[in-house]
Amino acid sequence: MANVVPVDAWSTGEWYPGYKPEFFDMPWIVDPAGPFRPGDENSFWFLDFHWSRGLTPLGATLWSGDGYCWGTQHAAESLPLPPGRGVSARFAGTHLYGSALPETDPAQIEARAGRIATNLPHFLQNYRSIWESGRDELENTWSQFRAIDFTQVSGDDLPDLLVKARRYHKRSMEIHFGVMYPMLANFLGFYGACADMGINPNEIGKFLQGEDTKIMETDRKLYDLALKARAAGLEPVFEAHDGGRLREALGRHGGAASGWLTEFDDFLQVYGYRAEATCDVGVPSWIEDNTIPLDLVKTFLQRKDSHDFSRAATNALAEREEAIENARAGLTREEQAVFDAGLASNQAANFPWWQDDHNYYIDLKVMLPLRWGCQELASRVKADRQDDMLYLFWPELRDVASGEKPYDAELRGLVDARRQYFDEWHGRRGEMPKVLGTIPENVEDPILIEIFGLNPHSIRAVQNPDAAAQTVMNGVPAAKGTARGIARVLQSSDELHRLEPGSILVCESTSPNWTPAFGKIAGCACDGGGMLSHAAIVGREYGVPTVTAIGVATLSIADGDEIEVDGSSGTVTVLRRAAEVAASADAPRTEEVTA
Amino acid sequence: MTLVSGDATVAEEPERHSCEAISWLDEVDPSEAVARGGAKMGRLAELLASGVLVPQGFAVTVEAYSRHCRESGLDGRIDTVLGALGPDPDDAAVEAASAEIREMFAGTPMSDGLAARLTEAYEELCLRCVDVNVPVAVRSSATGEDAADASFAGIFDTYLGVSGVERVLESVRRCWGSLFTARALAYRLRRGISHHDMPIAVGVIELIHARASGVAFSVHPVTGKRDRIVIETSWGWGEAIVQGLVDPDHVEVGKADGRVLRYDVAHKKVVSAFDFAVGAVTEIEMPAKLAHRQVLDDEQIAAISAAVTAIEEHYGHPVDVEWVIGRHRRAGDPVCIVQTRPVTTVEPETTAAPAYDPVALAQKYLFSGKPIPGR
Repeated sequence: MANVVPVDAWSTGEWYPGYKPEFFDMPWIVDPAGPFRPGDENSFWFLDFHWSRGLTPLGATLWSGDGYCWGTQHAAESLPLPPGRGVSARFAGTHLYGSALPETDPAQIEARAGRIATNLPHFLQNYRSIWESGRDELENTWSQFRAIDFTQVSGDDLPDLLVKARRYHKRSMEIHFGVMYPMLANFLGFYGACADMGINPNEIGKFLQGEDTKIMETDRKLYDLALKARAAGLEPVFEAHDGGRLREALGRHGGAASGWLTEFDDFLQVYGYRAEATCDVGVPSWIEDNTIPLDLVKTFLQRKDSHDFSRAATNALAEREEAIENARAGLTREEQAVFDAGLASNQAANFPWWQDDHNYYIDLKVMLPLRWGCQELASRVKADRQDDMLYLFWPELRDVASGEKPYDAELRGLVDARRQYFDEWHGRRGEMPKVLGTIPENVEDPILIEIFGLNPHSIRAVQNPDAAAQTVMNGVPAAKGTARGIARVLQSSDELHRLEPGSILVCESTSPNWTPAFGKIAGCACDGGGMLSHAAIVGREYGVPTVTAIGVATLSIADGDEIEVDGSSGTVTVLRRAAEVAASADAPRTEEVTA
Repeated sequence: MTLVSGDATVAEEPERHSCEAISWLDEVDPSEAVARGGAKMGRLAELLASGVLVPQGFAVTVEAYSRHCRESGLDGRIDTVLGALGPDPDDAAVEAASAEIREMFAGTPMSDGLAARLTEAYEELCLRCVDVNVPVAVRSSATGEDAADASFAGIFDTYLGVSGVERVLESVRRCWGSLFTARALAYRLRRGISHHDMPIAVGVIELIHARASGVAFSVHPVTGKRDRIVIETSWGWGEAIVQGLVDPDHVEVGKADGRVLRYDVAHKKVVSAFDFAVGAVTEIEMPAKLAHRQVLDDEQIAAISAAVTAIEEHYGHPVDVEWVIGRHRRAGDPVCIVQTRPVTTVEPETTAAPAYDPVALAQKYLFSGKPIPGR
């Protein structure tokens, strides 16, 4: 008998102030996005860790409608997934819940199985050209936006530019999920075959690690900048200021700092068009707000021991070769033939690599053109704040942009009320149920299992009413080794500056914008995330002991607790509660042990 | 004894030791071996004829058993007990009948003639092994339907380390009696089989002084995969493994190239050892220094693999075997096979070369509604 968590409290029809259902009117394929509605308790909904800040009205509607629902449902039809129709999205307050859409008609499943039998091999044979042509198409559109000076766009052209920016995001998600589903299907098929041949599942992720990504490249460049800052004697400036004030302080410092800032700006021109969030129009890019990258430089400078990127990369490759050799040694000659072919296929279309790399091209920058358009419009209508337009729904934004509707006191009041609504729900993130609706014992959608870490264990864990009191938790052993340290429980990457060298990061889950943090933390424990989640992949690359899919890490662990993460066994233990740590005369020791 | 002939150019017909009651492994016609000596002994004779190393020994034939029952009056007494059972007896009644019949076997001596033939055979075995009162394994060797020894695996008695003719005679009679264990009785009652349709033979074979022993399968016994040999082994005799009393070392070997794919060393808590005071093989605590030690080296694994592969080829179907590595075996010698049986549960042989098929794998692991193994 499945446990049912009611959605009544969220399906009242009430949402953002001034919300009307038609604000969600947009083309849809199988199931449209929206706030929770009656009947939704019949499906299984999970709190999506990607948007732990909550989403503004514009971000919520366009991402869930054009992005998540359109992209996944489109891809699930194209491949197709035989028993799945993609993902749908609902909102409880500002927080997004996802659910896999099942296909249950046996005739449909059979017909779809026939189509994937043609389409998957075709995709794998042409993976490189399919992904690269999609990427190039998006990069081409991106450069067109980059070439536009938004301040010079005529008032008549601005509405059209907003439409184009919205379309760019939607098209990006077609390409994104169109590539992701077949790559994931191939990877998980290989994974299943490996597990069936007796290969330790914890080893399988290693077979494909060690490929350089744009995200890792960004981290290295940032680290180089930190070394240059040290060489230029700027360490005291970084020590004395937080990221938010660093730019100003460096500017005042002059001399070597000016030269360094020039180099920093050059870096941003290449790597700075990335927001600290996945597909969220509400979040600025590094180039718009230097706080995060400057804080990251500061973090690198705080590290006593230098992080050797090339050695970590070499180690990851050596570990990969060793894992492959060990696995092959245990296979019969017949099995080796299957393994070798599957490995070759997955090395050519490397899902774990793509899962990190594509963020540079898609997720982290795809909402920026729309954000620029909204900011330009805000300045033209003399909005109180530069981000006011993000608190409008699309039809309202379109009308303001075209001049159909003035940005008057009524709209301004609505924006204020919605801003309050957003802030209130932002504060309630920690108390949001991790799952809603009809909770199954296990799920079958590969993305839910591998990316979100929704395995039977974590599904049980999130239903434990005594989660807050427990001191020993289990999850997926994602990156080996053991680490002890002080827990820093972060709600979003906005709080990354709270991490100190040797901290243990505890969060719902990580995304590429969290990657630099792995250069300084000693360990990582996440509520969600499977073997293929960002934290698992980056934890392995950086050699940071990591446990994912704990379900309730952010509930059971409090900020300041001393904890141990055992990334080999998948166990996380609270050693001392924060109060005890604070009371202790000894400064808490931080140690890192590699198993 | 071989008579010395005056004419050395004429090959002597070797002296035969078999008779109606005794069937030596190295003398019986392989085509008659099962019929005379039961499945277990018959297959050993077949193996020997095909060039596999097996222990020396003989079967006390099916005919010897039948004649003993007939001439001693046991047949009639057994029928009386079974007749009193009725068509649908309860467990307690079957237990009681079993105990009564087995007691009858224990208390009914062999005819002088049969005892004499068995004594001669045992003395001949002592001579061949160059030992006095050579310790032997006395094993029940059932007949009947093909599946008999699968259905009755472990149901009939086996005595290891029996020494001296008196004990051998007694063990043979006990093996005969074990045709009437409660489990065997209940099985035959359920299936409507008469015990007359499945008379029993008894093997008397040289007890190989085992350094290590175990079982080996020419296919994976659980998954049915035919690309590997699976070996389970422990120190000493194989009884503790066969009866599941010890967690054995587990070895898998690739059939195509003989590579050891995995070797899992178990913590072996119990060993079947020869107890000289009792004159039998019994289970005792494993010496601490041996418990964690790996039993087999690569050369021994190769020898076991070679034997099991040869036996599978000989029969043309997958087999399991029980094997022993004797104390005096040297590298390069074959291992000794003490038992073999056909394996009936295997996956059908695939003719196509195995290939990586992403569609089939995605269907199997992603879209089947079953969890991915190891997740």
